[in-house]
Amino acid sequence: MENNIKLSHMNHWKTIPYKKIDNFRDFYYEDMSNNCYFMDWDRILRYHKATGYDGIELAPWDLAEILGLFGSPKEFTSFAADHGIEVSGMFHGCDDSHIKEKHEEVVAAGKAAVDTLKQFGGIHLNTCPGNNYYGNGPLDEEGLQNIASCLNEIGRYAEDNGIKVGIHNEFFCVTNKLNHRRLIDITDPECVHYCLDTAQVVLMGDDVLDFYDTYKDRICTFHWKDTADPGVADEVRYAKDVEICDDGHRWFWEPGEGTVPMKELWKKVAESGFKGWVSIEDDGAPDYLAAMALSSYYMKQVLGKIYW
Amino acid sequence: MRNYCFSTEVVDLDNQYPNRNKRESKYYWDELNHLICAGGFHSIEIPYEPKWDFGGRSGIPRTLRSITTKFETVAGYMQFLKENGIGSIDCVHMNPSLFCRGVLPMYFGAMEHFASEAISFAAEAGCKVVTLSVTPPWFQVHNLLGEQSEEEFLKETKAVIKRLAAQVKTAGGTLCLKNEYWGLLRGEKITAFLDQLDGEVMLDLDTAHLAAAGDDIEKVIRDNAGRIGIVHLTDTSFEDWDETWKTALPEFPAGGATKVFTDPGFGKVDLKAVICCLEKAGYQGTYVFNPRNSYDISRSILRTRYYIDTQLDR
Repeated sequence: MENNIKLSHMNHWKTIPYKKIDNFRDFYYEDMSNNCYFMDWDRILRYHKATGYDGIELAPWDLAEILGLFGSPKEFTSFAADHGIEVSGMFHGCDDSHIKEKHEEVVAAGKAAVDTLKQFGGIHLNTCPGNNYYGNGPLDEEGLQNIASCLNEIGRYAEDNGIKVGIHNEFFCVTNKLNHRRLIDITDPECVHYCLDTAQVVLMGDDVLDFYDTYKDRICTFHWKDTADPGVADEVRYAKDVEICDDGHRWFWEPGEGTVPMKELWKKVAESGFKGWVSIEDDGAPDYLAAMALSSYYMKQVLGKIYW
Repeated sequence: MRNYCFSTEVVDLDNQYPNRNKRESKYYWDELNHLICAGGFHSIEIPYEPKWDFGGRSGIPRTLRSITTKFETVAGYMQFLKENGIGSIDCVHMNPSLFCRGVLPMYFGAMEHFASEAISFAAEAGCKVVTLSVTPPWFQVHNLLGEQSEEEFLKETKAVIKRLAAQVKTAGGTLCLKNEYWGLLRGEKITAFLDQLDGEVMLDLDTAHLAAAGDDIEKVIRDNAGRIGIVHLTDTSFEDWDETWKTALPEFPAGGATKVFTDPGFGKVDLKAVICCLEKAGYQGTYVFNPRNSYDISRSILRTRYYIDTQLDR
């Protein structure tokens, strides 16, 4: 029987420089460390499958190197399929979408991302709606409408191509605590969906359970991750370059290692009968293999007992 | 007494290694100064890498933006370095490969803009040498060229370099060209290119890159005596039998995975002979050690110091 949930992994492994290392033993003996275990797609994809994932979500900043190694999206997708892994989606950023004069440029970039994702066989274009808050916020109503206009146009094009655009609102984004719900409300529900990043919404200071109740019909997929910093202060979220902390403080943790009400939220996911991809996103983890395994265990052995 | 400098290009920010993520936080770079200092080095090379500006990773001190974000001014950063054991920045390396995508005019525009910014930064930091990767890797250039030829690309490159050289000269410094083994001007090809630059630009002699290109390093030194502006003492045992230099990721040879750049003393380049040849040719400038993209930064620093103490300065 097919499960309701398919587990994917948002790929934050940095540039993976080899397609497949054939001289693995020789490479190991060069410095007798574990470096060679994390340098080829063959093994990274094996780790995905071995730790319980069926999908991978691509990062657009990796595409140049992926295409350099594989030659085409189709070749990468085929290579991943040989490992039992599908491309579930890709991240995208709509920088400058709040600026009216940039509309055409932003929409063109969004459509190009849709085309790229389609070639990889993915279906979720998880889209940061705009720039960082610092230097761009606060937005007025016109700025918010400009963002919505870009998302609607990209979303319509995406729907025509079998892709779902899901708003992915970072906690330091120009659309923030005071207006991120309004952005959802003023976009077209037929073609602009929502990728619920469980940590980002909590970091922004929103109530993730209420958020789910309110927008469950718009949610097309998840970035499922934890945080121990609910409701980060405005002066932090709105500051310059806040994603990476100077002192090494982590905003994000593996599911179950933070304070997000994971089980309560998952019960709501079950009640709504959600079916589809849920991506683990472990940005900031010091050891991705361990983070993937910990996250997969929590999803399948803890939350999976509630719903899968 | 030779002037030895250590490059912060030792830190790999681009490729996947365990625990890579901490390398984006400021605390990591603050401590790196202590490690370099503990290894007996008191000057650094900075790779000027705007890539991290675009992601807001200003904890990585590699550009004017990141440094002024965290230290307010370049002077503030230099003071911080001094208080943490690093007395000077002796070389700034600008690699424009980041911009080798999209369309050619964008590449040249971004190259000139950010190289110019790197030159201004160097001047403000009291650094006299700016070295520029003369071309991106062959693979990237050929993906960008379209209908244009290599010759046309190099002609435009030369025009940009001449303008940059004038800026460096005004600032009282020296512009050098680094010719990586994967570039259009790999190996000895750089000599003829430098000949066309009216003596305004000097060579960055990078030993591992020359060795990987299959060149006679001592011949390159003799051919360019008097115009070597900076030396990178780098090591490798890599032999490029199947044109890896033309592949998408030439630092990672597909089919025979290896580490192209090793710590000094762990490859096949006779760095002592190189120094001897350079000194005979009258070179009196800085020697930069760059175990580029190290797997283990602390180990690379200490291995370099051990190599200097037991091989080069003995």
